[in-house]
Order: sequence, then C-alpha cells, then structure tokens
Amino acid sequence: MPVSPRARLIRATLRLWAALVLAFLYLPIVLLILFSFEDSDSVGLPVRSLTTKWYEGIPGNDQLVGAIFTSVLVAAIVACVGTLVGTMAAFPLVRARVRWPNAARVLVTMPIMFPGVLIGVGLLIFLAGVLHLQLSLLTVIAGHLVLTMPFVVLIVSARLQGFDRRLEWAAADLGASPARTLWSVVLPLIAPAIVAGALLSVTLSIDEFVVTFFTIGPQLTLPIYFYTQIKIGVTPEVNAVATLLLLATILAFSLAALLASAIGRIRRARLGSPVADSHSYSWRDS
Amino acid sequence: MTSTVPAATEVADTLPPAEPGLSPRRLWPFVPAAIVLGALFLAPLSIAVAASLWRTSPSLQLIPDWTLDNFRYLLGQAGYIALFGKTLLMAVVVTAAGITVAFPFAYFLVRYVSRRWQRIVLLAVVVPFWTSYLVRVYAWQAILGSQGLLNGLLKELGLISQPVDVFLYNDVGVFIVLLYVYFPFAALTLYSSLERFDFTQLTAAQDLGARPDQALRRVLLPQIRPGLITACIFVFIPILGEYLTPDLVGGTKGILIGSDIISFYLGGSFPLMAATALLVAVVVLALLIVFRRYLQVEDLVAGGR
Repeated sequence: MPVSPRARLIRATLRLWAALVLAFLYLPIVLLILFSFEDSDSVGLPVRSLTTKWYEGIPGNDQLVGAIFTSVLVAAIVACVGTLVGTMAAFPLVRARVRWPNAARVLVTMPIMFPGVLIGVGLLIFLAGVLHLQLSLLTVIAGHLVLTMPFVVLIVSARLQGFDRRLEWAAADLGASPARTLWSVVLPLIAPAIVAGALLSVTLSIDEFVVTFFTIGPQLTLPIYFYTQIKIGVTPEVNAVATLLLLATILAFSLAALLASAIGRIRRARLGSPVADSHSYSWRDS
Repeated sequence: MTSTVPAATEVADTLPPAEPGLSPRRLWPFVPAAIVLGALFLAPLSIAVAASLWRTSPSLQLIPDWTLDNFRYLLGQAGYIALFGKTLLMAVVVTAAGITVAFPFAYFLVRYVSRRWQRIVLLAVVVPFWTSYLVRVYAWQAILGSQGLLNGLLKELGLISQPVDVFLYNDVGVFIVLLYVYFPFAALTLYSSLERFDFTQLTAAQDLGARPDQALRRVLLPQIRPGLITACIFVFIPILGEYLTPDLVGGTKGILIGSDIISFYLGGSFPLMAATALLVAVVVLALLIVFRRYLQVEDLVAGGR
C-alpha cells in the first residue's frame, strides 16, 4: 500500500480536489435552500433575517398549486405509460437474436442523445404546424414520453442482460406457464430496475423545461411556473418549492431503496436460498 | 394457399428455443415502443427537416413550398455563423474542463475510497439533479453577480477592491454554470469505465520499467478510451442545444445557438427555427456516427445506482 511521501501527497491532493468538486456541486443547492428562508423579497446575499412565510404561502397560491398538480399528473401518466412500454421493449431488445435489434437499439438511444430542444422543435412542427393539433397536456405527455421511455428501456435491458435464463427454464420444467414464469420469476427479479426506471421518469418529467416549453398550451407545469416567476423576478417562493421538491425526491428514493431491501430480505427468507439475491446488484458483471 | 399457414406456425413452434429471436411472436413487445418513437421522435424530426425547406404565410402558417431561402438567409447573416462557431467553441471548452475536473475526481473515488463510500459519493453527485434545474441555475446569479459570493470572496482575499462584473451575464458565467450542470455526466461515465479497469496493470507496467505517466498514458488511457469518449459526448452534445443557462446567467452577451432556436420559436418563424435545429442536428448526428463504436450510454445510468 502507498506509504511513500509522494504517494501520500498525491492522495491528499486528490482528496482535496474531490472535496472542492463536491463543494462546487452543493454551493447552489445550499444557497437556494438558504434563500427559501430569507425574509426580504429580493433574493441575494447577505441573508438578513429568516422566515418560513414563503412555505406557508404555498398552499394559498392557486397558480402554484395548480402547476404542482399538473406536473405531478403529467409525470404520473408519463411514468406509467413509459415504464410499461419501455419494460416490454427491453425483452426483445435483449433476447431476440436477429439483425434488427441494432436498429432498434439506435432508435432507443437517439432520444437520450439528442438535445431536448431538437425534440421540442420536431414535436412542435409536427403536432402543431402540420397536424394542427391543439397544444395541451396531451402533447406535453407525448414529449415527455419520448424523453423518459428510452431510459426505462436502457435500465431494464441492463438488468435483463444479467438475468440467468436457467431460472426461467427451471420454472418451465416445473410446469409453469410462460405467463406464470413471467409473473412469478422474471418480473420480481427485474422489479428493482423497473422501479428505478419509473422513478427516473418521474424526476425527468417533473423537471423538464425545454420540451414542455415547445409542447404546452395555456397550462402551467412547475418548471414553466418557475421560469415565469424567475423572469418576473419573484423568487423566494420558487426557492421554497425547489427545496420541497428536493426533499420529496430524497424521500421517494429512500423509500424505494428501503422497500427494495425489505422485499429482498423477505424473498430470501421465503426461498431459504440466495437465488433472489445473486442477480440483484451487479448486472454489469455478466 | 391456405395450407401454408398452419405449416408455417408448426415450423415456428418446433424451432429450438436456442433461437427464440427468429419467432416474430418474440418481437411484438417492442411494437408499442416503436410506435411511440416512430410517431413522436422519428416522424417529428423528419418533418422538421422538411419544414426547414418550407416557408410561412404572412399569418405564420407553414406552407410546404420547397425553398432554400431559410438556409440562404441564415448563412448570409455573419452573426449567425459566429454564434454557431461560438457555441461549438463553448462546447469544446466546457467538455475539456469537465473531463479535467471529473477525471481526478473519478480516479480518486475508484482508487482511494472504499466501495461503500464510493456509492455514497456517487449518490451525492446525483442528488443535485433531484431539484429543479432551473432553480439551481438561477441560484448561480447569487454567486456570480456583482454583489455575489464570488465577488465577496475575492474582496476578502484582497484580490479586488471594487466588485467586478465579469462573472455574470456573459460567456464566463455561461461557462461556469454549464460546467456545473454537465460535470456530473462526465464524472459518472468516467467512474464507470475506471471502475472496470484492473489497476494491478499499472503496477505491472511500472514493474516492467514504465514511468508512472507512461503507465497512465499507455496502459490506462487506451482501456478507458470508450468511457472518455462517452463522457465527452455527454457533455458536448447537450450544450449545442442549451437555452436555459445562457438565458438565466448569460444575458444578451452570453447567448448560444439554442437561444436563437427559441427566439425563432417565440417569433413564430417555424422554418427558420427548423433550419437552425437542423444545423445543430447535423453536428449531433455526425458525432454520434463517428463515435458510435465507443458510446456506452448505459454507463450514465449505471454509475448513479
């Protein structure tokens, strides 16, 4: 193990670097949380006195509450549809051994790689300019679906790639129908990936600005509301909502993690063997 | 002819399970995804390409009259080409800076930090994404502004006596905030590829007489090249379409080509918007095609888990 003064110096330097990087990442977050408690209307330093009035004002702000509701509704629909469609798509993508999966894989990764602005431009011209559809929450949902579904495909595919097909063959040997095998063997084992995909879809959808900007009608989603407020210059409330959003997401992810480990424990106890666990974590090993 | 149908299904049924892909029954789960991506991604982008060659009526309706006028107009504007060039340059600079910041960070994690702490730090890199991108970028105004944190720090250090205006509402501010926004992508992908590298190879190379820098360059670098390229692409490409960061911290001096796309959108000139988007898309596609062999898109979702 490195003990020479030189090695120690390198290590100390790298450690300092990592600390600085994390400070760089969290500085704006700390500030936005701090500003959400600031008393004065004009956000900025120094913060003189603290208050919770911006949080207390949220429930009474109809426009904001409406925007939150709209965003949650859109995210929920996008996550449900996208997770279903994406999970289905992952199966043939990983398992079919014909030439076309390459084209399919490219098709799936393209929306991830393309800047959102291009997707927004395309959707706007196609839906509003050519098909003459009324822009509404439906068009927003369509746009978000394109952005999030590929991530579900990617995450579930990765999990399926590390999946031991012998478990399915064993189930079939024991007389399980394909549907039963899927329901009782395959889905429980890839569930963590499905949940991860759904959670990612929700976070991406709730925070999506550019594609929403191109596809929305007169409605407000949360990022659009943030944008208009920031443009007007009224922001302590925006900071309060962003802080709550952070808290809610942390809570959701912690709950999901806790739930996953609890389910894993129950399943291991029931099976009395490490089968359920052996493919749970490191799909990348395969 | 009807007799061939049952025969075909019989053949399909007797296919050995080792080649399930040949049975079309196995392909149907992909169909909904293909419809979604075909109707909401491929078709819109193809139409947008066509629309870049169309014109609008005085009432801003799209009219499919084929013309090159949009491109002629755009490329005739000196400022337009300069803006496109500046956007590419900004993307190059932010990518270079992002890799420079992320590489030592990821290297430190993989080499000097326990497995448990690696996961915690990676999570810490992802958590900022869990609140509004808009609000995070906006918070930088309070850091970079003339009354901001950075000016206060520099004054404290005695480097400046008066607040300076050089960090906000210009390219410097855009650079700093883009680095902030996209650094995590570089860190996660670099971490994934470094984590797969067997570091005993470095020891072996040095045992065989390589200097440490030679070992890094000739043994480590070639093996993490795909991850490095993936990291670059993940930082470079989104910057080409950036609108919010230039809008919030760039002011009028810090605009990028994405700002132009939005201006055309707000101005109702869809063909010019489509033409500008097409120019960006050509660069994006070219990069994706050139580097397709190296791209490891999975690494982005792998590192954060």
